[in-house]
Amino acid sequence: MLLAQQLTESADILEVANTGSFWNILTFVVFTPLVGALVLLAIPKANQQALKVVALGTTLVAAGLGVVILTQFDFGDASAKQLGANIGWIEVINSRYIVGIDGISLPLLMLTLLIMPLVVIYSWNHIPSPGNPKAFFALQMVLMTGMLGSFVALDLILFFVFFEVVLLPMYFLIGVWGGEQRQYASIKFFLYTLFGSALMLVAFLALYFLSDEVLTPSGNVMHSFDMTLLPALATGISAGAALWIFGGMFIGFGVKVPMFPFHTWLPDAHTQAPTVGSVILAAVLLKLGTYGFMRIAIPILPDAAKSWAPVIGILAVIGIIYGALCCLAQTDMKRLIAFSSVAHMGFTMLAISTLTDFGFNAALFGMVAHGLITGMLFFLAGSTKERYHTLEIKRLGGLLKQAPHMGWIMGLAVMASLGLPGLAGFWGEFPAILSAYDPAEGLNVALFRTLMVIAAVGTVLAAGYLLWLYQRVAFGTPSAEFENDPNIVDVTTTEWIAWTPLIVLIVVLGMVPGILFNVTNPAVGVALSAIGA
Amino acid sequence: MLLNQFLLLAAVLFCIGVYGVLTRRNGVMVLMSIELILNAVNINLIAFGTYLSDATGQAFALFIIAVAAAEVGVGLAIVLMLFRNRRSIDIDAVDQLKG
Amino acid sequence: MNILAAVGVDNPPLDWHALAPELVLVGLLAVLLLVDAFGGERSRWAMPSLTGIGLLAALIPVATLAYDGVVRSMFDGAYVVDNYALLFKALFLIAGYVVVLLSTNYIAEGDYWEGEYYQLLVASLLGMTVMASARDLISVFLALELLSIPAYMLAAWRKRDLGSEEAGMKYYLMGVFASAILLYGMSLLYGMTGSTLLVDIAGAIEGTEVPALVALAVVLVVVGFAFKVSAVPFHTWAPDTYQGAPTPVTAFLAVGSKAAGFVALMTVVLIAFPTQPRIFEPLIWALAAVTMIVGNLIALRQTNLVRMLAYSGVAQAGYILAPLAVAGVSGASAAMAVEAVSTYLVIYAAMNLGAFAVVIAVARKTGSAEIDSYGGLFSYSPVLAVCMSVFLFSLAGIPPLAGWYGKLTIFLALIEPGTLAGYILAVIVGLASVIALFYYARVAKVMFVDPAPDGDTTPIRVPMSLAAALTITVAVTLVVGVLPQVLARVTGAETFLSIGG
Repeated sequence: MLLAQQLTESADILEVANTGSFWNILTFVVFTPLVGALVLLAIPKANQQALKVVALGTTLVAAGLGVVILTQFDFGDASAKQLGANIGWIEVINSRYIVGIDGISLPLLMLTLLIMPLVVIYSWNHIPSPGNPKAFFALQMVLMTGMLGSFVALDLILFFVFFEVVLLPMYFLIGVWGGEQRQYASIKFFLYTLFGSALMLVAFLALYFLSDEVLTPSGNVMHSFDMTLLPALATGISAGAALWIFGGMFIGFGVKVPMFPFHTWLPDAHTQAPTVGSVILAAVLLKLGTYGFMRIAIPILPDAAKSWAPVIGILAVIGIIYGALCCLAQTDMKRLIAFSSVAHMGFTMLAISTLTDFGFNAALFGMVAHGLITGMLFFLAGSTKERYHTLEIKRLGGLLKQAPHMGWIMGLAVMASLGLPGLAGFWGEFPAILSAYDPAEGLNVALFRTLMVIAAVGTVLAAGYLLWLYQRVAFGTPSAEFENDPNIVDVTTTEWIAWTPLIVLIVVLGMVPGILFNVTNPAVGVALSAIGA
Repeated sequence: MLLNQFLLLAAVLFCIGVYGVLTRRNGVMVLMSIELILNAVNINLIAFGTYLSDATGQAFALFIIAVAAAEVGVGLAIVLMLFRNRRSIDIDAVDQLKG
Repeated sequence: MNILAAVGVDNPPLDWHALAPELVLVGLLAVLLLVDAFGGERSRWAMPSLTGIGLLAALIPVATLAYDGVVRSMFDGAYVVDNYALLFKALFLIAGYVVVLLSTNYIAEGDYWEGEYYQLLVASLLGMTVMASARDLISVFLALELLSIPAYMLAAWRKRDLGSEEAGMKYYLMGVFASAILLYGMSLLYGMTGSTLLVDIAGAIEGTEVPALVALAVVLVVVGFAFKVSAVPFHTWAPDTYQGAPTPVTAFLAVGSKAAGFVALMTVVLIAFPTQPRIFEPLIWALAAVTMIVGNLIALRQTNLVRMLAYSGVAQAGYILAPLAVAGVSGASAAMAVEAVSTYLVIYAAMNLGAFAVVIAVARKTGSAEIDSYGGLFSYSPVLAVCMSVFLFSLAGIPPLAGWYGKLTIFLALIEPGTLAGYILAVIVGLASVIALFYYARVAKVMFVDPAPDGDTTPIRVPMSLAAALTITVAVTLVVGVLPQVLARVTGAETFLSIGG
């Protein structure tokens, strides 16, 4: 004790104090789905109605807690980590239960809370083969806990745990309820992500040991995993070590995004996953990667980030063009949407690689917009598959004739996806390109402007493949094999309920982007404070 | 004292023992090779103990002799059991399980 | 008049409290022997209960000693009871108890000698508890033999079964050979230092004039233990023995015997060789790297679950060895290595015993351990399938199951010294874990997706004792995974300070 006191007096060592309690609103929102999963396990398998009601109820309770969070969140101080707690967890390594949200995590948290009830509603009449709604919903609930936890965790180890919790349910969702090549796809998904997270963990631990120490509440002087303190603690790390550590995180998060060349798991996973799996994957899971860059890698190691930025930027742009070209070559609608994800996440990563406020805001908007739009597109693909029993583009056609409402909704989603002004996609894509015009100080301006031009070409390609897709699927007359197929009906009630919120948000965010930018902007400034842009 | 000669003898016995274990296919011969190694150990211990005028080495050797006796008893029991069931003590013929 | 005193030998002072756990086991052994000898057939049913109660009774002195918290040293330091020893004694006793639970129905319903089975089990456990306290070459050797010799017999315990006899034979020959090599290394150590006490050896070999001989001795000792912990390339006995031996015995060998090997290796290396990191570090580094890579690669193509678990156990041995490869950098890294190894051993015991419990339960119905025979398990015995998944994914190190914390401590120990060797090994551990996931996930897939092979979907009836074993192991796996502090408090660094003396 005496030693600790002397240390605090002599050196400028950071002191950590316990704040808040475990029973805070974020804990509730994160673990509500887990409780729901346990309740599901207790319900007999045969009682399908009860299973569905409990699953929906759980997600709605979580979403309700989300509304409470919105009312309690101090938007005037969106740069601060709010509503959380900081208490002991694994004391021997000073890994703590630190949770909190700010302007960066709030939109993603809300996105998750919005998507999950919609997914459950959509599943109401669409439990994929081989059935078993009990396990299906229970896994989704566990998945939800993992995703929510990743967005609120502010301790590297806690974040890692939640990040990994996501893996298993997704593996089973793809591997059990997926398409014909589900085993290959699920294993590929699992191995890529696990490979990335193994390197990420090594990077986290190296960061832990090389950064400065803090004084824990119990009076010990120890290293720290606290994301909010590490930017200050990690300043002493040598440039060479920082580069390696950033490299480890780069692979860990890059696999998840997915960045070219780590993207190859994504088309397989998307194509084989059941509809709701694809929606969750596109809407939320991919964001874990970009979120990791914005929350962890870049703020903690800003100098290494500057060295890596050109690499990230170049790979992002390769992803944009490569994704677009692959889209043009696809014959399967779901696979096409999957590759368009690679392209869209390329825009997000390009914006992040500029290391500017502007770029980060654009990236966050892009993440939310991509979540809404691509989620919508995967819902549509799922419903198309259900009606036509195929997603081969050349066999489809005349959707507008056979199911006009669905055709129009698809039109809206496609337009939003290609970045039509007035819809959400525009505010993710356009500022992302623009941000590359003026990257952070110290980055190669000529390089980034070149990247900007190439990315702009990418938008043209995107318009090309998306319009081509829409034209083939929606226009024209239905092919002979489906002409009088009674299975092909217009949007059903559950689909309306599941899709309306997405459609409304796509339009509203397109019209009034400020509601999102106002939240993200202050927080982004803090994340980039060390870059000095 | 002629410590080196004893150590050399032990080393030779050890090598013969290891060679025997690695090349002999007869279960009893393998057991005897292992006994050679154990005797090499005992010679080492006693030679060192005498050289250092320390009784620990001899005590250690006594322990080894006693334990080795028990060990060989168990070993022969297993070999015998195997022999009764398959009429052979060739350890290469023992290949029920893929190795 | 004491006859020893007459010839000038003093009775060494005995600390009965410190020896109490072992004495309880000796007493238990005597009771089992008497009950078996005089009770005959009528008392058969009582053997497992008696053994279980006896093992739990032996935990009581372990608890009081831990509460007391004094380091007790006997026989000039050859036998030490400190927190390190107590942790492992408790681990061995609890693991032994779970093995008894696994054996109860298996041994009673199969064609086995029942009374002797439990006696040998207790004798082997006695060796393990002694090993936890051994701080001297002679006591290490005696403990090793005491735990191994009954285990050789147990491996061959299935009557008139060639597979089991072969398992015992292979285990025996490899085990004895390893002991012999180990002893040769020990004899050299004794000769160079004039002492068998590990602490004295550490001091004496520091300034030795024959470094080559020291190197040879260190290598032989490490190799001897490498056999015991089934490190590649000394692992060849493990899969055959595991597959052929009765399954509860396999669980016992895979957990207890291996943990005891690690305890011995760790004690000897960290107390006797801390001044020789240039010799043992590269050796253990290479052993660890090769072990985890080869173990995982061979496990990939196994079709029998027990063999797969055997190879996965080989790979896990590689993970456990890894922290020792950087333990010589500093005192702090040695402490972290001890913490990592002990943490991992505890977690490994829980998840591996659990996996074997499921294997035993499933074999009651299918009579097979082939992976294919697990098809459809989720549809007819969902609880068993979920339990198995918990254990397998815990072995793979997926949070929030206990295995992840074990891996984390290993990563911590590897990265703490900040050496290149440590970083590279950490990356290898990461990659090996990814490979490992393949085969764990495949079993999960078979259980959840594939149909039952013969269409027989009657649920499996799990007897009480197996259910108890499953409950214990699942609880440990989940609790430690979510609240690692529970275990970390026990394995924490400050409790291990006395390892050096």
